[in-house]
Amino acid sequence: MSNPDGPMQKHHFLLRRLHSLTGILPIGVFLIMHLTTNSTIAWGGLNGRAHGDGWLDRAIATFQHEVSFINETPLLLLIEITLWASIAFHSILGVIYAVSGNMNNGSYKYGGNTRYMLQRVTGYVGILFIFYHIATLRWGWTWLVPGGVKWSHENAASTLAAALQGSTEQFTEWGLVVAIFYFVGVTMLVFHFANGLWTAAITWGFTISRSAQKRWGYACAALGAGLMVMAWASVVGFATLDYDQAREVEEAMKSGHEPVPQMTDDHTETATAEHSNIDG
Amino acid sequence: MSDAEAHAYDADMRRANRRKAVDGRSVIFKIKRCDGPGKPSRWESFKVPVEEGANVISSLKWIAANPVTTEGSKTTPVVWDSGCLEEVCGACTMVINGRVRQSCSCLIDEYAPLEGDVITLEPMSKFPVIRDLWVDRDRLFSALTRVKAWVPIDGTYNMGAGPKESPEHQQMRYALSECMSCGCCLEACPQYTKVEDEEKWDTSFVGAHAISQARLFNEHGTGKQLKGERYDALSGPGGVSDCGNAQNCVKVCPKGIPLTESIGAVGRGTTIHAIKQFFQGKK
Repeated sequence: MSNPDGPMQKHHFLLRRLHSLTGILPIGVFLIMHLTTNSTIAWGGLNGRAHGDGWLDRAIATFQHEVSFINETPLLLLIEITLWASIAFHSILGVIYAVSGNMNNGSYKYGGNTRYMLQRVTGYVGILFIFYHIATLRWGWTWLVPGGVKWSHENAASTLAAALQGSTEQFTEWGLVVAIFYFVGVTMLVFHFANGLWTAAITWGFTISRSAQKRWGYACAALGAGLMVMAWASVVGFATLDYDQAREVEEAMKSGHEPVPQMTDDHTETATAEHSNIDG
Repeated sequence: MSDAEAHAYDADMRRANRRKAVDGRSVIFKIKRCDGPGKPSRWESFKVPVEEGANVISSLKWIAANPVTTEGSKTTPVVWDSGCLEEVCGACTMVINGRVRQSCSCLIDEYAPLEGDVITLEPMSKFPVIRDLWVDRDRLFSALTRVKAWVPIDGTYNMGAGPKESPEHQQMRYALSECMSCGCCLEACPQYTKVEDEEKWDTSFVGAHAISQARLFNEHGTGKQLKGERYDALSGPGGVSDCGNAQNCVKVCPKGIPLTESIGAVGRGTTIHAIKQFFQGKK
Protein backbone atom coordinates (compact mmCIF):
# COMPACT_ATOMS: atom_id res chain seq x y z
CA MET A 1 0.00 0.00 0.00
CA SER A 2 2.88 2.34 0.70
CA ASN A 3 4.26 1.65 -2.78
CA PRO A 4 3.90 5.08 -4.46
CA ASP A 5 3.28 3.47 -7.88
CA GLY A 6 0.86 0.85 -6.58
CA PRO A 7 -2.77 0.79 -7.71
CA MET A 8 -3.98 1.91 -4.28
CA GLN A 9 -1.96 5.12 -4.63
CA LYS A 10 -2.44 5.66 -8.34
CA HIS A 11 -6.23 5.42 -8.17
CA HIS A 12 -6.43 6.81 -4.65
CA PHE A 13 -9.14 9.38 -5.28
CA LEU A 14 -11.32 7.07 -7.39
CA LEU A 15 -11.10 4.26 -4.82
CA ARG A 16 -11.96 6.62 -1.96
CA ARG A 17 -14.98 7.98 -3.80
CA LEU A 18 -16.11 4.48 -4.86
CA HIS A 19 -15.78 3.37 -1.26
CA SER A 20 -18.07 6.22 -0.25
CA LEU A 21 -20.48 5.58 -3.14
CA THR A 22 -20.83 1.82 -2.64
CA GLY A 23 -21.84 2.47 0.98
CA ILE A 24 -24.89 4.33 -0.31
CA LEU A 25 -25.48 2.62 -3.65
CA PRO A 26 -26.07 -0.30 -3.68
CA ILE A 27 -25.46 -1.23 -0.02
CA GLY A 28 -27.40 1.53 1.75
CA VAL A 29 -30.34 1.40 -0.65
CA PHE A 30 -30.44 -2.36 -0.29
CA LEU A 31 -30.39 -2.00 3.50
CA ILE A 32 -33.50 0.18 3.35
CA MET A 33 -35.30 -2.33 1.11
CA HIS A 34 -34.15 -5.29 3.21
CA LEU A 35 -35.36 -3.74 6.46
CA THR A 36 -38.65 -2.74 4.84
CA THR A 37 -39.26 -6.35 3.80
CA ASN A 38 -38.17 -7.86 7.10
CA SER A 39 -40.13 -5.45 9.27
CA THR A 40 -43.37 -6.65 7.63
CA ILE A 41 -43.37 -9.16 10.50
CA ALA A 42 -44.24 -6.17 12.68
CA TRP A 43 -46.59 -4.18 10.44
CA GLY A 44 -47.68 -6.73 7.83
CA GLY A 45 -50.91 -7.17 9.78
CA LEU A 46 -52.01 -3.91 8.15
CA ASN A 47 -52.14 -5.77 4.86
CA GLY A 48 -55.84 -6.58 4.49
CA ARG A 49 -55.18 -8.65 1.35
CA ALA A 50 -52.89 -11.06 3.16
CA HIS A 51 -53.96 -14.59 4.02
CA GLY A 52 -55.02 -15.14 7.61
CA ASP A 53 -57.42 -13.81 10.18
CA GLY A 54 -55.17 -12.55 12.94
CA TRP A 55 -52.72 -9.66 12.80
CA LEU A 56 -49.71 -11.95 13.14
CA ASP A 57 -50.99 -14.43 10.54
CA ARG A 58 -51.33 -11.61 8.03
CA ALA A 59 -47.83 -10.40 8.93
CA ILE A 60 -46.37 -13.87 8.35
CA ALA A 61 -48.23 -14.14 5.05
CA THR A 62 -47.11 -10.66 3.92
CA PHE A 63 -43.49 -11.48 4.70
CA GLN A 64 -43.76 -14.79 2.83
CA HIS A 65 -45.39 -13.01 -0.09
CA GLU A 66 -42.55 -10.44 -0.21
CA VAL A 67 -39.86 -13.14 -0.03
CA SER A 68 -41.51 -15.12 -2.82
CA PHE A 69 -41.78 -11.94 -4.88
CA ILE A 70 -38.04 -11.23 -4.45
CA ASN A 71 -37.22 -14.82 -5.36
CA GLU A 72 -39.05 -14.39 -8.65
CA THR A 73 -36.87 -11.43 -9.64
CA PRO A 74 -35.17 -12.16 -12.96
CA LEU A 75 -31.37 -12.47 -12.78
CA LEU A 76 -31.55 -12.45 -8.99
CA LEU A 77 -28.15 -14.11 -8.68
CA LEU A 78 -26.59 -11.29 -10.71
CA ILE A 79 -28.11 -8.72 -8.34
CA GLU A 80 -26.86 -10.72 -5.38
CA ILE A 81 -23.34 -11.01 -6.76
CA THR A 82 -23.27 -7.24 -7.36
CA LEU A 83 -24.27 -6.74 -3.74
CA TRP A 84 -21.76 -9.22 -2.36
CA ALA A 85 -18.97 -7.69 -4.46
CA SER A 86 -19.93 -4.19 -3.30
CA ILE A 87 -19.98 -5.29 0.34
CA ALA A 88 -16.60 -7.01 -0.03
CA PHE A 89 -15.12 -3.93 -1.74
CA HIS A 90 -16.53 -1.55 0.89
CA SER A 91 -15.35 -3.85 3.71
CA ILE A 92 -11.81 -4.44 2.50
CA LEU A 93 -11.13 -0.79 1.68
CA GLY A 94 -12.93 0.26 4.87
CA VAL A 95 -10.62 -1.84 7.01
CA ILE A 96 -7.53 -0.56 5.16
CA TYR A 97 -8.67 3.04 5.69
CA ALA A 98 -9.72 2.45 9.30
CA VAL A 99 -6.42 0.95 10.41
CA SER A 100 -4.59 3.95 8.91
CA GLY A 101 -5.85 6.10 11.80
CA ASN A 102 -5.18 6.11 15.52
CA MET A 103 -8.19 6.73 17.76
CA ASN A 104 -7.70 9.26 20.56
CA ASN A 105 -11.11 9.31 22.23
CA GLY A 106 -9.58 9.29 25.70
CA SER A 107 -8.07 12.75 25.26
CA TYR A 108 -10.60 14.36 22.94
CA LYS A 109 -14.13 13.54 24.06
CA TYR A 110 -16.05 15.33 21.32
CA GLY A 111 -19.23 14.00 19.73
CA GLY A 112 -17.61 13.93 16.29
CA ASN A 113 -14.66 11.97 17.63
CA THR A 114 -17.02 9.45 19.25
CA ARG A 115 -18.82 9.00 15.93
CA TYR A 116 -15.45 8.54 14.19
CA MET A 117 -14.66 5.72 16.63
CA LEU A 118 -18.15 4.19 16.37
CA GLN A 119 -18.05 4.28 12.57
CA ARG A 120 -14.95 2.06 12.65
CA VAL A 121 -16.12 -0.27 15.41
CA THR A 122 -19.55 -0.73 13.79
CA GLY A 123 -17.76 -1.40 10.51
CA TYR A 124 -15.63 -4.19 11.98
CA VAL A 125 -18.56 -5.84 13.79
CA GLY A 126 -20.80 -5.21 10.78
CA ILE A 127 -18.47 -7.21 8.51
CA LEU A 128 -18.62 -10.18 10.90
CA PHE A 129 -22.37 -9.89 11.19
CA ILE A 130 -23.05 -9.62 7.45
CA PHE A 131 -20.75 -12.56 6.78
CA TYR A 132 -22.54 -14.71 9.37
CA HIS A 133 -25.92 -13.54 8.10
CA ILE A 134 -25.23 -14.34 4.42
CA ALA A 135 -23.29 -17.55 5.15
CA THR A 136 -26.01 -19.06 7.30
CA LEU A 137 -29.23 -17.81 5.73
CA ARG A 138 -28.21 -17.51 2.09
CA TRP A 139 -25.36 -19.94 1.49
CA GLY A 140 -26.82 -22.53 3.86
CA TRP A 141 -23.86 -23.05 6.19
CA THR A 142 -26.13 -24.76 8.68
CA TRP A 143 -23.20 -25.90 10.84
CA LEU A 144 -23.03 -22.28 12.01
CA VAL A 145 -26.72 -22.25 12.97
CA PRO A 146 -27.63 -23.52 16.45
CA GLY A 147 -30.20 -26.24 15.89
CA GLY A 148 -28.98 -26.59 12.31
CA VAL A 149 -32.14 -25.21 10.68
CA LYS A 150 -31.71 -24.34 7.02
CA TRP A 151 -33.46 -21.17 5.94
CA SER A 152 -35.85 -21.69 3.05
CA HIS A 153 -37.54 -18.98 0.99
CA GLU A 154 -40.57 -21.24 0.78
CA ASN A 155 -40.97 -21.18 4.55
CA ALA A 156 -39.40 -17.79 5.06
CA ALA A 157 -40.82 -16.74 8.42
CA SER A 158 -40.80 -20.11 10.20
CA THR A 159 -37.26 -21.13 9.26
CA LEU A 160 -35.97 -17.65 10.06
CA ALA A 161 -37.61 -17.79 13.49
CA ALA A 162 -36.00 -21.19 14.09
CA ALA A 163 -32.58 -19.91 12.99
CA LEU A 164 -32.83 -16.99 15.43
CA GLN A 165 -34.20 -19.09 18.30
CA GLY A 166 -31.86 -22.07 17.97
CA SER A 167 -34.61 -24.66 17.46
CA THR A 168 -38.11 -25.14 16.11
CA GLU A 169 -39.44 -25.76 19.61
CA GLN A 170 -38.26 -23.12 22.04
CA PHE A 171 -35.51 -20.57 22.62
CA THR A 172 -32.17 -22.28 23.28
CA GLU A 173 -29.15 -20.64 24.93
CA TRP A 174 -27.25 -20.52 21.64
CA GLY A 175 -30.38 -19.25 19.96
CA LEU A 176 -30.37 -16.34 22.38
CA VAL A 177 -26.73 -15.64 21.48
CA VAL A 178 -27.66 -15.54 17.78
CA ALA A 179 -30.69 -13.33 18.43
CA ILE A 180 -28.61 -10.89 20.48
CA PHE A 181 -25.91 -10.91 17.81
CA TYR A 182 -28.57 -10.02 15.27
CA PHE A 183 -29.89 -7.22 17.45
CA VAL A 184 -26.41 -5.77 17.97
CA GLY A 185 -25.48 -6.35 14.33
CA VAL A 186 -28.44 -4.54 12.80
CA THR A 187 -28.17 -1.71 15.34
CA MET A 188 -24.54 -1.16 14.41
CA LEU A 189 -25.17 -1.35 10.68
CA VAL A 190 -28.02 1.15 10.81
CA PHE A 191 -25.79 3.55 12.74
CA HIS A 192 -22.96 2.94 10.27
CA PHE A 193 -25.23 3.76 7.35
CA ALA A 194 -26.79 6.88 8.88
CA ASN A 195 -23.44 8.26 10.07
CA GLY A 196 -21.78 7.30 6.78
CA LEU A 197 -24.48 9.21 4.91
CA TRP A 198 -23.67 12.26 7.05
CA THR A 199 -19.90 12.12 6.47
CA ALA A 200 -20.33 11.26 2.77
CA ALA A 201 -22.02 14.64 2.29
CA ILE A 202 -18.87 16.36 3.60
CA THR A 203 -16.56 14.07 1.62
CA TRP A 204 -18.30 14.80 -1.68
CA GLY A 205 -18.74 18.46 -0.80
CA PHE A 206 -22.53 18.64 -0.56
CA THR A 207 -22.46 20.13 2.93
CA ILE A 208 -19.87 22.82 3.54
CA SER A 209 -21.13 25.32 6.12
CA ARG A 210 -21.53 24.25 9.72
CA SER A 211 -25.28 24.90 9.57
CA ALA A 212 -25.63 22.77 6.44
CA GLN A 213 -23.74 19.95 8.12
CA LYS A 214 -26.04 20.29 11.11
CA ARG A 215 -29.22 20.24 9.02
CA TRP A 216 -28.07 17.20 7.06
CA GLY A 217 -27.13 15.63 10.39
CA TYR A 218 -30.73 15.92 11.58
CA ALA A 219 -31.95 14.40 8.31
CA CYS A 220 -29.54 11.47 8.66
CA ALA A 221 -30.49 11.02 12.31
CA ALA A 222 -34.18 10.92 11.38
CA LEU A 223 -33.54 8.35 8.65
CA GLY A 224 -31.36 6.36 11.06
CA ALA A 225 -34.04 6.44 13.77
CA GLY A 226 -36.67 5.22 11.31
CA LEU A 227 -34.45 2.40 10.06
CA MET A 228 -33.51 1.53 13.64
CA VAL A 229 -37.17 1.04 14.57
CA MET A 230 -37.61 -1.19 11.51
CA ALA A 231 -34.45 -3.15 12.30
CA TRP A 232 -35.39 -3.73 15.94
CA ALA A 233 -38.97 -4.63 14.99
CA SER A 234 -37.64 -7.21 12.51
CA VAL A 235 -35.26 -8.90 14.96
CA VAL A 236 -37.68 -8.86 17.88
CA GLY A 237 -40.52 -9.94 15.61
CA PHE A 238 -38.75 -13.04 14.30
CA ALA A 239 -37.00 -13.88 17.57
CA THR A 240 -40.38 -14.09 19.29
CA LEU A 241 -42.29 -15.70 16.41
CA ASP A 242 -43.87 -19.11 17.04
CA TYR A 243 -42.46 -21.65 14.55
CA ASP A 244 -45.62 -23.76 14.33
CA GLN A 245 -47.91 -20.79 13.78
CA ALA A 246 -45.70 -19.46 10.99
CA ARG A 247 -45.46 -22.91 9.43
CA GLU A 248 -49.23 -23.25 9.44
CA VAL A 249 -49.74 -19.96 7.60
CA GLU A 250 -47.03 -20.82 5.06
CA GLU A 251 -48.48 -24.28 4.37
CA ALA A 252 -51.94 -22.81 4.00
CA MET A 253 -50.59 -20.31 1.46
CA LYS A 254 -48.88 -23.10 -0.48
CA SER A 255 -52.06 -25.19 -0.67
CA GLY A 256 -53.71 -22.66 -2.92
CA HIS A 257 -55.18 -19.96 -0.74
CA GLU A 258 -52.86 -17.47 -2.35
CA PRO A 259 -53.46 -15.03 -3.84
CA VAL A 260 -56.41 -14.05 -1.72
CA PRO A 261 -59.43 -12.86 -3.75
CA GLN A 262 -59.32 -9.14 -4.30
CA MET A 263 -62.93 -8.44 -5.19
CA THR A 264 -65.90 -9.35 -3.08
CA ASP A 265 -68.82 -9.08 -5.52
CA ASP A 266 -71.21 -11.97 -5.73
CA HIS A 267 -69.69 -13.47 -8.83
CA THR A 268 -66.16 -13.94 -7.50
CA GLU A 269 -67.38 -14.98 -4.10
CA THR A 270 -69.22 -17.84 -5.69
CA ALA A 271 -66.22 -18.71 -7.79
CA THR A 272 -63.97 -18.82 -4.74
CA ALA A 273 -66.45 -20.91 -2.88
CA GLU A 274 -66.56 -23.41 -5.70
CA HIS A 275 -62.80 -23.43 -5.86
CA SER A 276 -62.60 -24.15 -2.17
CA ASN A 277 -65.04 -26.97 -2.56
CA ILE A 278 -62.92 -28.59 -5.20
CA ASP A 279 -59.89 -28.20 -2.94
CA GLY A 280 -61.71 -29.71 -0.03
CA MET B 1 -23.29 16.93 26.37
CA SER B 2 -23.04 18.68 23.01
CA ASP B 3 -19.72 19.95 21.74
CA ALA B 4 -20.69 23.56 22.34
CA GLU B 5 -21.63 22.71 25.92
CA ALA B 6 -18.39 20.80 26.43
CA HIS B 7 -16.53 23.87 25.24
CA ALA B 8 -18.48 26.19 27.52
CA TYR B 9 -17.98 23.78 30.38
CA ASP B 10 -14.24 23.89 29.83
CA ALA B 11 -14.24 27.68 29.78
CA ASP B 12 -16.52 27.83 32.86
CA MET B 13 -14.30 25.39 34.70
CA ARG B 14 -11.21 27.41 33.92
CA ARG B 15 -12.92 30.63 35.06
CA ALA B 16 -14.06 28.93 38.27
CA ASN B 17 -10.52 27.66 38.87
CA ARG B 18 -9.18 31.19 38.47
CA ARG B 19 -11.54 32.43 41.19
CA LYS B 20 -10.46 29.80 43.71
CA ALA B 21 -6.71 30.08 42.95
CA VAL B 22 -4.71 30.17 46.20
CA ASP B 23 -1.99 32.81 46.61
CA GLY B 24 1.55 31.68 47.43
CA ARG B 25 0.98 28.05 46.46
CA SER B 26 3.32 25.65 44.71
CA VAL B 27 2.19 23.30 41.94
CA ILE B 28 3.77 20.18 40.46
CA PHE B 29 4.84 20.03 36.82
CA LYS B 30 5.03 16.48 35.56
CA ILE B 31 7.06 16.67 32.37
CA LYS B 32 7.73 14.03 29.73
CA ARG B 33 11.42 14.37 28.92
CA CYS B 34 13.61 13.07 26.12
CA ASP B 35 17.32 13.78 25.61
CA GLY B 36 17.25 13.73 21.82
CA PRO B 37 15.85 12.16 18.64
CA GLY B 38 15.46 8.41 19.05
CA LYS B 39 16.30 8.51 22.76
CA PRO B 40 13.89 6.98 25.29
CA SER B 41 11.55 9.28 27.20
CA ARG B 42 11.11 9.54 30.94
CA TRP B 43 8.91 11.49 33.38
CA GLU B 44 10.31 14.08 35.80
CA SER B 45 8.37 16.20 38.27
CA PHE B 46 9.18 19.69 39.49
CA LYS B 47 7.66 21.72 42.32
CA VAL B 48 7.20 25.31 41.15
CA PRO B 49 6.08 28.31 43.26
CA VAL B 50 3.28 30.14 41.42
CA GLU B 51 3.66 33.87 40.88
CA GLU B 52 0.75 36.12 40.04
CA GLY B 53 -0.30 35.65 36.41
CA ALA B 54 2.10 32.74 35.90
CA ASN B 55 1.75 30.67 32.76
CA VAL B 56 3.39 27.45 31.58
CA ILE B 57 6.30 29.27 29.88
CA SER B 58 7.11 31.39 32.95
CA SER B 59 7.01 28.19 35.02
CA LEU B 60 9.34 26.46 32.56
CA LYS B 61 11.71 29.41 32.93
CA TRP B 62 11.66 28.92 36.71
CA ILE B 63 12.46 25.21 36.21
CA ALA B 64 15.34 26.14 33.86
CA ALA B 65 16.79 28.27 36.64
CA ASN B 66 16.16 25.58 39.31
CA PRO B 67 16.45 22.21 37.56
CA VAL B 68 15.86 20.03 40.63
CA THR B 69 13.19 17.32 40.60
CA THR B 70 10.69 16.69 43.40
CA GLU B 71 12.95 13.81 44.53
CA GLY B 72 15.71 16.38 45.07
CA SER B 73 18.01 15.21 42.29
CA LYS B 74 19.63 17.78 40.03
CA THR B 75 18.78 17.39 36.36
CA THR B 76 19.20 19.25 33.08
CA PRO B 77 16.95 22.25 32.35
CA VAL B 78 13.80 21.33 30.42
CA VAL B 79 13.97 22.44 26.78
CA TRP B 80 10.96 23.99 25.02
CA ASP B 81 10.27 26.05 21.92
CA SER B 82 8.57 29.43 21.95
CA GLY B 83 8.48 32.71 20.09
CA CYS B 84 5.89 35.44 20.39
CA LEU B 85 4.48 34.57 23.85
CA GLU B 86 1.08 35.95 22.77
CA GLU B 87 -0.49 32.98 20.97
CA VAL B 88 0.16 34.10 17.41
CA CYS B 89 3.31 32.19 16.39
CA GLY B 90 2.36 28.63 17.35
CA ALA B 91 5.89 27.60 18.35
CA CYS B 92 5.13 26.77 22.00
CA THR B 93 2.34 24.28 21.19
CA MET B 94 2.45 21.23 23.49
CA VAL B 95 0.16 18.70 25.13
CA ILE B 96 -1.02 20.05 28.49
CA ASN B 97 -3.06 17.73 30.73
CA GLY B 98 -3.56 15.44 27.76
CA ARG B 99 -4.81 18.08 25.34
CA VAL B 100 -2.96 20.16 22.80
CA ARG B 101 -2.72 23.95 23.13
CA GLN B 102 -0.28 26.84 23.29
CA SER B 103 1.69 26.89 26.53
CA CYS B 104 2.27 30.67 26.56
CA SER B 105 -1.45 31.41 26.95
CA CYS B 106 -1.98 28.59 29.44
CA LEU B 107 -2.49 30.23 32.84
CA ILE B 108 -1.52 28.22 35.92
CA ASP B 109 -4.48 29.67 37.88
CA GLU B 110 -6.88 28.06 35.39
CA TYR B 111 -5.23 24.64 35.42
CA ALA B 112 -3.84 24.22 38.95
CA PRO B 113 -5.65 26.51 41.43
CA LEU B 114 -4.75 24.63 44.63
CA GLU B 115 -1.54 23.76 46.46
CA GLY B 116 0.07 20.63 44.99
CA ASP B 117 -2.14 20.46 41.86
CA VAL B 118 -0.42 18.71 38.98
CA ILE B 119 0.05 20.01 35.42
CA THR B 120 1.26 17.43 32.89
CA LEU B 121 3.39 18.62 29.98
CA GLU B 122 4.19 16.44 26.96
CA PRO B 123 5.61 17.23 23.53
CA MET B 124 3.19 16.90 20.60
CA SER B 125 3.03 13.21 19.66
CA LYS B 126 2.66 13.61 15.88
CA PHE B 127 6.07 15.23 15.30
CA PRO B 128 9.60 13.98 16.03
CA VAL B 129 10.96 15.23 19.35
CA ILE B 130 14.14 17.27 19.14
CA ARG B 131 14.47 17.50 22.89
CA ASP B 132 12.01 17.43 25.82
CA LEU B 133 9.01 19.60 24.79
CA TRP B 134 10.60 20.86 21.57
CA VAL B 135 9.41 19.12 18.39
CA ASP B 136 10.32 19.35 14.72
CA ARG B 137 7.27 20.62 12.79
CA ASP B 138 8.90 20.39 9.34
CA ARG B 139 6.20 18.08 7.98
CA LEU B 140 3.56 20.69 8.78
CA PHE B 141 5.38 23.27 6.62
CA SER B 142 6.15 20.77 3.86
CA ALA B 143 2.39 20.17 3.60
CA LEU B 144 1.93 23.88 2.83
CA THR B 145 4.47 23.54 0.00
CA ARG B 146 2.64 20.43 -1.20
CA VAL B 147 -0.64 22.34 -1.65
CA LYS B 148 1.12 25.46 -3.01
CA ALA B 149 -0.22 27.68 -0.23
CA TRP B 150 0.89 30.93 -1.79
CA VAL B 151 -0.04 33.55 -4.39
CA PRO B 152 2.01 33.22 -7.59
CA ILE B 153 3.23 36.78 -8.16
CA ASP B 154 6.90 36.21 -9.04
CA GLY B 155 7.49 37.04 -12.70
CA THR B 156 9.27 39.27 -15.15
CA TYR B 157 6.57 41.89 -15.55
CA ASN B 158 4.07 43.83 -13.47
CA MET B 159 0.77 41.93 -13.24
CA GLY B 160 -1.17 45.03 -12.33
CA ALA B 161 -3.77 45.47 -9.61
CA GLY B 162 -5.57 42.39 -8.32
CA PRO B 163 -9.30 41.77 -8.78
CA LYS B 164 -11.87 43.53 -6.58
CA GLU B 165 -12.75 41.94 -3.27
CA SER B 166 -16.15 42.20 -1.52
CA PRO B 167 -16.16 42.82 2.24
CA GLU B 168 -18.07 39.54 2.81
CA HIS B 169 -15.56 37.51 0.85
CA GLN B 170 -12.70 39.31 2.55
CA GLN B 171 -14.16 38.41 5.96
CA MET B 172 -14.48 34.76 4.99
CA ARG B 173 -10.86 34.68 3.88
CA TYR B 174 -9.69 36.61 6.93
CA ALA B 175 -10.91 33.81 9.20
CA LEU B 176 -8.85 31.31 7.21
CA SER B 177 -5.80 33.60 7.13
CA GLU B 178 -5.51 33.50 10.93
CA CYS B 179 -3.83 30.07 10.81
CA MET B 180 -0.46 30.22 12.60
CA SER B 181 0.67 26.68 11.65
CA CYS B 182 0.80 25.66 15.31
CA GLY B 183 -0.15 22.00 14.73
CA CYS B 184 -3.07 21.71 17.20
CA CYS B 185 -5.41 20.41 14.47
CA LEU B 186 -2.86 17.74 13.51
CA GLU B 187 -2.11 16.65 17.07
CA ALA B 188 -5.83 16.14 17.81
CA CYS B 189 -6.58 14.41 14.48
CA PRO B 190 -6.98 10.62 14.73
CA GLN B 191 -6.23 10.33 11.02
CA TYR B 192 -2.94 12.28 11.17
CA THR B 193 -0.32 9.88 12.43
CA LYS B 194 3.38 10.35 13.13
CA VAL B 195 5.51 9.76 10.03
CA GLU B 196 9.27 9.82 10.66
CA ASP B 197 10.32 8.97 7.09
CA GLU B 198 10.46 12.24 5.10
CA GLU B 199 10.08 10.30 1.83
CA LYS B 200 6.56 9.36 2.88
CA TRP B 201 5.39 12.85 3.82
CA ASP B 202 4.04 13.58 0.35
CA THR B 203 1.72 10.56 0.43
CA SER B 204 0.71 10.79 4.10
CA PHE B 205 -2.36 12.72 5.27
CA VAL B 206 -1.78 16.38 4.57
CA GLY B 207 -3.82 17.64 7.55
CA ALA B 208 -6.59 20.18 8.18
CA HIS B 209 -4.31 23.24 8.24
CA ALA B 210 -3.01 22.65 4.68
CA ILE B 211 -6.50 21.85 3.33
CA SER B 212 -7.74 25.12 4.82
CA GLN B 213 -4.77 27.09 3.45
CA ALA B 214 -5.37 25.61 0.00
CA ARG B 215 -8.93 26.91 0.24
CA LEU B 216 -7.68 30.34 1.37
CA PHE B 217 -5.43 30.68 -1.68
CA ASN B 218 -8.03 29.16 -4.04
CA GLU B 219 -10.31 31.99 -2.91
CA HIS B 220 -7.65 34.63 -3.61
CA GLY B 221 -8.11 36.56 -6.85
CA THR B 222 -4.61 35.83 -8.08
CA GLY B 223 -3.93 32.74 -5.99
CA LYS B 224 -6.69 30.82 -7.74
CA GLN B 225 -4.45 30.46 -10.79
CA LEU B 226 -2.95 27.45 -9.00
CA LYS B 227 -6.36 25.96 -8.10
CA GLY B 228 -5.98 22.96 -10.42
CA GLU B 229 -2.53 22.11 -9.10
CA ARG B 230 -3.78 22.37 -5.52
CA TYR B 231 -6.68 20.04 -6.28
CA ASP B 232 -4.31 17.63 -8.01
CA ALA B 233 -2.23 17.47 -4.84
CA LEU B 234 -5.31 17.19 -2.61
CA SER B 235 -6.85 14.40 -4.74
CA GLY B 236 -3.76 12.24 -4.38
CA PRO B 237 -2.77 9.84 -1.62
CA GLY B 238 -2.93 11.61 1.74
CA GLY B 239 -5.19 14.30 0.29
CA VAL B 240 -8.52 15.61 1.53
CA SER B 241 -10.26 12.25 1.05
CA ASP B 242 -8.10 10.74 3.82
CA CYS B 243 -10.07 12.87 6.29
CA GLY B 244 -12.12 10.65 8.62
CA ASN B 245 -14.51 13.44 9.70
CA ALA B 246 -13.80 13.16 13.42
CA GLN B 247 -13.81 16.99 13.39
CA ASN B 248 -11.45 17.33 16.35
CA CYS B 249 -9.43 19.87 14.33
CA VAL B 250 -12.08 22.56 14.48
CA LYS B 251 -12.63 21.96 18.21
CA VAL B 252 -8.98 22.43 19.20
CA CYS B 253 -8.06 25.23 16.78
CA PRO B 254 -6.95 28.15 19.02
CA LYS B 255 -7.95 30.62 16.29
CA GLY B 256 -11.44 29.17 15.75
CA ILE B 257 -10.79 28.65 12.04
CA PRO B 258 -13.72 26.83 10.35
CA LEU B 259 -11.46 23.91 9.34
CA THR B 260 -14.31 21.46 8.74
CA GLU B 261 -15.97 23.93 6.38
CA SER B 262 -12.69 24.12 4.48
CA ILE B 263 -12.60 20.32 4.30
CA GLY B 264 -16.15 20.32 2.87
CA ALA B 265 -15.27 23.08 0.39
CA VAL B 266 -12.10 21.33 -0.79
CA GLY B 267 -14.07 18.05 -0.94
CA ARG B 268 -16.49 19.77 -3.32
CA GLY B 269 -13.60 21.29 -5.28
CA THR B 270 -11.87 17.94 -5.77
CA THR B 271 -15.16 16.25 -6.75
CA ILE B 272 -15.78 18.86 -9.48
CA HIS B 273 -12.10 18.79 -10.47
CA ALA B 274 -12.27 14.99 -10.91
CA ILE B 275 -15.49 15.16 -12.95
CA LYS B 276 -13.97 17.84 -15.22
CA GLN B 277 -10.85 15.75 -15.68
CA PHE B 278 -12.94 12.68 -16.49
CA PHE B 279 -14.75 14.43 -19.32
CA GLN B 280 -12.10 16.88 -20.51
CA GLY B 281 -8.87 15.04 -19.78
CA LYS B 282 -5.98 16.43 -17.78
CA LYS B 283 -4.86 19.91 -18.68
